[in-house]
Amino acid sequence: MTTSAGFARRPTPTTGLSYDERRAYLFLTPLAAVLMGIAVFPILYSFYVSLYSIKLTRPQRAPFVWLDNYVVVLSDPQFWGAVERTVIFSVIAVAAILVLALLVALLLNEEFPGRRVLSALLLIPWAIPYVANALMWKWIYDSNYGALNGILYQLDFIDTYMVWLGDADKTLALIANAFVWKEVPLAAILLLVGLKTIPADLYSAAKVDGANVVKRFLHVTLPALGPSFALVLIYETMMAIRHFDLFFILTEGGPGDASHVVAWRIYVETFRNLSFGTGAAMSYILALATLALSYVFIRALAQRVTT
Amino acid sequence: MTGNLSRRSFLKSTAAVGLGCAAELGGIARAPAAEIINFATWSAAVDTVKSHLAAFEAKTGIKVNYSNLPWAQYRETMITKFVGNAPIDTLWVSDSWLPEWADAGWLVPIDQYKTLTAYNADASDFCNQSMIYKGRQYGLTYYTDYMGFIYDNELLQKAGIASPPTTWAEVADQAKTVKSKGLSEWPVLISLAQETWLIEFLSAMVFSHGGRFVDDNGNAVMQDGGALSALRWLVDAVHKHKILSPSCVETGELAGLKTFSSGQHAFGLIPKYRLRTLNDPSQSQIAGRAMLALMPQGEGGSHATVGWMRFYGMTPRAQADTTRAENTVKLIEWFGGKADGEYRFQKLLFKDVGAAFGVKSLFNDPEMREAYKAYGDVDLIGKQQALARKKDVISPWFGEWNDVNGASWQQAVLGKVTPEQALKTSAAKWAELKKQS
Amino acid sequence: MAPRVRAQRLRLRHLSRIVVLWAASLAFLVYVLAPVAWLLSSSFQTEREIVSRPPHWIPQQPTLQNFTAIFAAKDRSVTYETRRAADPATGGYIPSTASNLVPAISNSLLVACAVVVFNLLVGVPAAYAMAKIRFRGRQASIYAILATRVIPDIALVVPFFLFIRNLGLLDSLWSLIITYLAVTVPFSVFILVSYFESLPDELDKAARVDGCSRLQTLTRVYLPLALPSVVAVMLFAFLASWNEFLLALMFTQTPKSQTLPIIVASFTSDFTISFSFINAAGVIAVIPPVILAVAFERYIVSGLTAGAVKG
Repeated sequence: MTTSAGFARRPTPTTGLSYDERRAYLFLTPLAAVLMGIAVFPILYSFYVSLYSIKLTRPQRAPFVWLDNYVVVLSDPQFWGAVERTVIFSVIAVAAILVLALLVALLLNEEFPGRRVLSALLLIPWAIPYVANALMWKWIYDSNYGALNGILYQLDFIDTYMVWLGDADKTLALIANAFVWKEVPLAAILLLVGLKTIPADLYSAAKVDGANVVKRFLHVTLPALGPSFALVLIYETMMAIRHFDLFFILTEGGPGDASHVVAWRIYVETFRNLSFGTGAAMSYILALATLALSYVFIRALAQRVTT
Repeated sequence: MTGNLSRRSFLKSTAAVGLGCAAELGGIARAPAAEIINFATWSAAVDTVKSHLAAFEAKTGIKVNYSNLPWAQYRETMITKFVGNAPIDTLWVSDSWLPEWADAGWLVPIDQYKTLTAYNADASDFCNQSMIYKGRQYGLTYYTDYMGFIYDNELLQKAGIASPPTTWAEVADQAKTVKSKGLSEWPVLISLAQETWLIEFLSAMVFSHGGRFVDDNGNAVMQDGGALSALRWLVDAVHKHKILSPSCVETGELAGLKTFSSGQHAFGLIPKYRLRTLNDPSQSQIAGRAMLALMPQGEGGSHATVGWMRFYGMTPRAQADTTRAENTVKLIEWFGGKADGEYRFQKLLFKDVGAAFGVKSLFNDPEMREAYKAYGDVDLIGKQQALARKKDVISPWFGEWNDVNGASWQQAVLGKVTPEQALKTSAAKWAELKKQS
Repeated sequence: MAPRVRAQRLRLRHLSRIVVLWAASLAFLVYVLAPVAWLLSSSFQTEREIVSRPPHWIPQQPTLQNFTAIFAAKDRSVTYETRRAADPATGGYIPSTASNLVPAISNSLLVACAVVVFNLLVGVPAAYAMAKIRFRGRQASIYAILATRVIPDIALVVPFFLFIRNLGLLDSLWSLIITYLAVTVPFSVFILVSYFESLPDELDKAARVDGCSRLQTLTRVYLPLALPSVVAVMLFAFLASWNEFLLALMFTQTPKSQTLPIIVASFTSDFTISFSFINAAGVIAVIPPVILAVAFERYIVSGLTAGAVKG
C-alpha cells in the first residue's frame, strides 16, 4: 500500500534485480565471501587432494591415483575399527547427555530460590576450553595421584589405586564422561528452552484429569519436548563424531587401540604418517557420513514435527 | 535472463573477492630473522644447555633462540613443525629418525664442514656409523647410551635374595618372592606407553631374548623367535605372575623413573644414564640402592641390550644462507665438539645428568672416571656397553611402523590379542611399508 | 475431603517438593563444581603436597608459587655457576615455556576480539537480509549456511593447512582469525536470523516510510532491538575462538602466534613439569571464559529463546 514498498518491488531495467534484492545480495556478500573462500573451497580442494598419493616424507613423487586412496581406506580394518569405536563413544556420550541434560533442565524449570545462581553456574563447564577440560579430567583420572582414585579409596570402594585411562575397557567410557560433563550445559539450555514453550494450560488440564507428577511428565512434557530432543540429539551426535581434543590430550588413541577413533585416525594419518592423500580421503568419507547422518536425522525430525 | 546472469556473476564475484582477500592477507608475512639461530631440543638438561649457550653467546655474539619440547612426543611435534615450515636451524635428532628425515629433506648432510668431521676420529664407531645414511654424515654426536637393567639392592636384600637375576625366568621368580614378602606390589617396572622411548624398551626385550625385529636384509623376522618369547614374557608378567602392573601401557619412561625412585619397584628397564639421578639423594628416595646388572637373558638369548645415540642435525633452512650456515656450524661444534679447546658440554652433561658421551678420549679423563665411580660399577657399565646393539628397525618408514608395532605390543599386553597375532600385525605392516618405499 | 487433611496433604507435597529440589540442586552443584574445585585446589598446592595419596582436598600448605611462575616468569640468565644440576626428569620442574603463557593469552585475546568484530560485520547484515528481505534463494541459503558446519573440522584441516601453507600464512594470527570466522559465522547467523525473524515486520515498513534505506533500518531500528542476540553472538564467537584447539594446533608453530589452549596442552604432555603448575595453567585458561559466560548468562538464554516464546 505504501509507495516505498511498491518502489522497492519494481525491477530496474538494467540489472533485473529489485532494490530489495540488490540490498539483500549486498548484505550477503561478506558472508558469501567468507563461506566460499573458507568453507566451500576447502571441501572441493580436499576432494582434489584425495585423488593423489601424497606423502610428505617422499616429497618428490605425488602420483594421480584416482579413487585408490578411498579403496585403501575403506578396505583397512583399522579404519573400520575406528568407526566402531567412534560409534560406541558417540552412543554412550549422547545417551548420557540426553538423560543428564533432561534432569538438569527439569530442575532449572522449577521456581525456587537460588535458581538463577544455579543457572549461572551451569555455564561453567560449557565455558571451559576443551583443553582445560581434558587437563582437569586427566589429572582426576591419574593412576597414581588422581582424585578419582583418591575418593574411591577414602570411601573404601577400592582398596588400592586403580588404573583408569590405561585400562582398555574403561577408556572410551572415561573419555565420554569428560565429554558429557562439558556438553550437558548447552544441551540442558536447549531442552530448557523447549520446556518453557510448553503452555501451562496443558499441565493444568492434565492435573484436572487426575494425572500425578510422573504421568504429567510422561504424557505432557516428553511429547512436547520431541523437537528439542531431536535438536539436541542431532547436534550432540555431530559433536561426538568429530571430537578430537579430548582424544589428543587424554590418551592419544591409546592404550593399544582402545580410543583410536576416526577423528584421531585422520590426525595420525595426516600429521604423523604424513600421508595427505589418504588423510584427505578419510576426512572426506567422514564428512560425507556426517552429512548423510544429519540428513537422515533432519528428515526424521521434520516428519515428527509435521505428524 | 538478466536475473540469472546477475546471480551467476554475483557468485563469481564473491568467490573472487573471497580468494582475493585471502591472497592479500598472505602478503602480511614477516621478514625472517637473519641473525638468530634456532636451536630445537627436547626438555633434558635444560639448565646445562642454557648455561653453555650463555657462554656461546658471550663468546661469539651470535644470538640463539633455544626451545625445548617433551621428548615423549618429540618426533610428532617436530614433524608438524617441519611440515609447517617453522624456523629451525639445528636440532637434536634420534638415530631412529635419520633415514626418514633425511629422505624427506628435513635434514642435510654436514660432511662438507671439515671443522665438524674432524671430530670423527675421536668419536666411537657406534656413533659415527649411526649418523651416516646413504654414505653421507648428518651430524655430530649429542650423547649415546643403552637400556640398562636396574635393581633396588635394598629390596632384594630384604627379600633374602643374594644376587640379581641373570635370566628372565629368574627375574620372574625373584619378583614373585619380593611380592610375596609384601615389599612391592609390582616388582617389575617396564614402561610401555606409546611414546618415543617405546622402541628402545621393546628392542632391549627382543635382543636379550636372542631375537630381532628385522634381519640383515631388512625382512621382518619379528613374528617368531626371540621377539615372540619376549612378548610372551611380558604378557605372562602382567597376567600370570602379576609382577608387572597392567598400567605399564600407560606409564612412560619419565613416570617410571619417578615411581622407581620412590622405591616402589625392585627391577626396572631404565636407560643406564638415569643411574645418576636414581642415586642422587636430592632427587631420589632410593639414593645408593639403585644398581646396574647385566641385562637378563631369555632362553637362547644373551645379555645383549639396545644402544642408541642422539645427534645434532642441521636443516636445509640453515644451509640456505651462508652466514646462517656458518653460525649454525659454530653452534654445532660448540655443543657437539669442543668448546674453548675442551669437551666442555659433554663433561657438564655427564656430571649433571649422567648422559654418556661418544668421545673416546674422555674415557681416559680422570675426572670422568671419578664421576662414574660415584654412581656405578665402571667395569660392569663398560661390559654392558660392549653388548649394546643398534636398533635394527631404523629405516625411512620407521615412524609409521613404530606406531603400529607399539600398538600391537600394547594390545597383546592388554590381553586383547595373542602375542602371535600382535607380532604378525607388526610384521605385515613392515612388509607393506617396505614394499611401498 | 476434610480441610485439615487436605492442608496436611498439601504441606506434605510442598515439603517433598522442597526436599527433592534441594537434593537435586546439591547433586547438580557437586556434578558441576567438584571437578573445577579440585582443579583450583591443585593449583594452590606445592609439588610435594600434590602427590599425596590420598589427595589433600584442601591444601594444607597453600602456595602461590605456581601462579607467580606464570606471571613473573622471566628467563633468568643461566651461567655455568648458576645452573641447576638437577635433571628436570624428576619432575617438579617449572618449564621455561611458562613465560609463553602470558603472550599466548594476549594472542588468544587478539584473535577472539577480531573474530567477534568480523562476526558482527559479516553476520548482522546477512541475518537482517535473510530475515527481512524477500529475495530469491532465501530458504536455500539458510540451509546451505548450516550445512557448512556439518563438515567436521578435521576434514577441513587438510586442505586448509596446505592452502595456508602455500600462502605463507602459517604461524600468523590471521590464519586463525580467518578460519575461526568461517567456523563461527554460520551459528552466529543462525542465532541472529532467528531473533530478527521474531521482531515485527511492521517496524521495517514504518522505517521505510520514514525514508530510511535498508542499512539505516538495520542500524537504527532493528539492531537496538536485537541486542540480546547480538550479545549472545559476541559471547559465542569469543568463547569459540578462545577455546579452539585443533586448528590452532595445525596453524601455529611458534609462541609468536600460539594461543592459550596450545600452550596449556603442551604442558600436559610434558612429564617433567610439576602437576601443580599444570593445574595452575589450567586455572588461568579457565578463568576468563567462565567470568564472561557467567556475567552474560542472561543473554545466552534469551538469545537462544528467540522466536521460541512468541506470543
